[in-house]
Amino acid sequence: MNKNIARKSILLIEDEENIRSFISTTLKNQNYKITTAANGEEGLHLAASLCPELVLLDLGLPDMDGMNVIEKLRTWTAVPVIVISARSDEHEKARALDSGADDYITKPFSTVELLARIRTSLRHSSQMQDVSSIYQKPYHYKNLAISFENHVVTLGDEMIHLTQIEYKLLTLLAKNSGKVLTYTYIMEKIWGPYTDGNNQILRVNMANIRRKIEKNPAVPEYVFTEIGIGYRMAESD
Amino acid sequence: MGNFLSGLRPWKVRQKGRFPTRRKKMAVARDMALTALFLAAATLISFWFFNTVPENSANIALAYITALVLTARFTNGYLYGIAASLASVAGINYLFTYPYFQVNFTLTGYPVTFVFTLAIALVVSTMTTRIKEQADALIEREKLLMEAEKEKMRANLLRSVSHDLRTPLTGIIGSSSAYIDNYRDLREEEKLKLVSHIREDSHWLLNMVENLLSVTRIHENSMKIATSLESVEEVAAEAVMRFHKRYPKAAVEVQAPEEFLMIPMDAMLVEQVIVNLLENALVHSGSSRPVELTISCEEKYIAFCVRDYGVGIAPERLETIFDGSGYTTESALDGHRGMGIGLSICKTIITAHNGFIFARNHQEGCAFTFTLPMEWGNTPKKE
Repeated sequence: MNKNIARKSILLIEDEENIRSFISTTLKNQNYKITTAANGEEGLHLAASLCPELVLLDLGLPDMDGMNVIEKLRTWTAVPVIVISARSDEHEKARALDSGADDYITKPFSTVELLARIRTSLRHSSQMQDVSSIYQKPYHYKNLAISFENHVVTLGDEMIHLTQIEYKLLTLLAKNSGKVLTYTYIMEKIWGPYTDGNNQILRVNMANIRRKIEKNPAVPEYVFTEIGIGYRMAESD
Repeated sequence: MGNFLSGLRPWKVRQKGRFPTRRKKMAVARDMALTALFLAAATLISFWFFNTVPENSANIALAYITALVLTARFTNGYLYGIAASLASVAGINYLFTYPYFQVNFTLTGYPVTFVFTLAIALVVSTMTTRIKEQADALIEREKLLMEAEKEKMRANLLRSVSHDLRTPLTGIIGSSSAYIDNYRDLREEEKLKLVSHIREDSHWLLNMVENLLSVTRIHENSMKIATSLESVEEVAAEAVMRFHKRYPKAAVEVQAPEEFLMIPMDAMLVEQVIVNLLENALVHSGSSRPVELTISCEEKYIAFCVRDYGVGIAPERLETIFDGSGYTTESALDGHRGMGIGLSICKTIITAHNGFIFARNHQEGCAFTFTLPMEWGNTPKKE
């Protein structure tokens, strides 16, 4: 990494010392500036005083529920929060995402996975802060290209015909590529805030999109399912 | 009469011991209400009858006998039937025989009526009580059988767990101790080898723990699971992705129906089953040909088939392969760790889904197939 670029600062809130130490080591080696907190109270203090560019938050903290930490952070900052969860309970992850976390990663995770999530979140937040980013960079990954300006989706040389809903759905995922979007979030963005809890319509539309863009819908290359949580689109190049 | 009633006491005591008092009180109230209701209905009908066709009084007795039979059938024990029969005899005498609205037991043949009504009440009560007792005993026996089955499964699981967890832990502790004790003298590649062993063992351990945790999603006593409609292809896709995460080089060929299918299941559990079967095929087939995952849609169920082109399974193990038992010798033979827990957990999960799982050899290897019902009827299938 270029030394001239200011190092990105990351706050890690995690009570397990072993995990703190291995994440710190990894991130330091990747030239991030890392600060650690062992509990929620300390984490909130440090977040307020250091204003980090990203927060890694363990959900199982000794002094307070991680969910509360997200809610408290969200009252004053839009800093991206990646939740580290030891629980394989998908409802809880969806709840964390819906209450303001940007992404999640389940223990145990590989360092490669962690670094990828951090990069994605940092990139999205810098795009948000950039005022001139009304222009959205086209999505491109493998053979799939989406030009948001011209409303055109192409797979290789072939143009893909999508219905209006399908297009809206695909572009929503593409604009947030690399990030998991929950069913609730997508339903609200596409069908409005007054939809009921039934997301079957979303699944059916997703299945149709998959049949149009994936070679084998059962081995997707572009849009991935996170069971019980939502969808994640492969990150744009 | 006093002697007769006291003869019934033992029954009452037994009943008391069986039910918690509050429930018993409620049952008594219910039985009393039922008895009163049946008698009142019989009386009403009799009055109506008495006013329309006063000559034929035999039907009045029939109405009361019907009430008796119903009372005996729908209440617990003999007591209510006997009480009802006494009330009927008294009621008929008081209301419907001359002199009306007076009790007069001196009528000709009345003792006979009395004895017969009492006999009917007793016989019917005895019969219904016995039927109820038999039904209770049947339920009890079934419960015991299920309990024994579960106990067996639990014992098997525990045996496998303690074996399968100790092995990788020994590896991890051993390798890390070797590293810490000798890190000055070790060559770089030796260090790397030790650490990669630790990683490999930890992954194995993680896999095991995930399998065990998945079982906690199944409700322990009723073997019930929380299902929701899930897309078959999405579950398959995620399972294959998880498999690839652990074995990046392993090739899997997936075939899913063109149709978009959503069926009720616990997606995490079914995913676990697919991952276990893929892993089993990869580790134990001893073949480099890609594993195939084929999903097919039948009329009432969906079948998932994991097929490999390897050594196959010894025929005598086909039947017991999902029991979680008898794997240790085999695993020692082929040098791989057993899939004991993995496969028995597959069976637990699929059974909880009202589906079936079985293993078959085909000409070039073996195939594991499991089925999931398209819809859940009200009565779960039993094997």
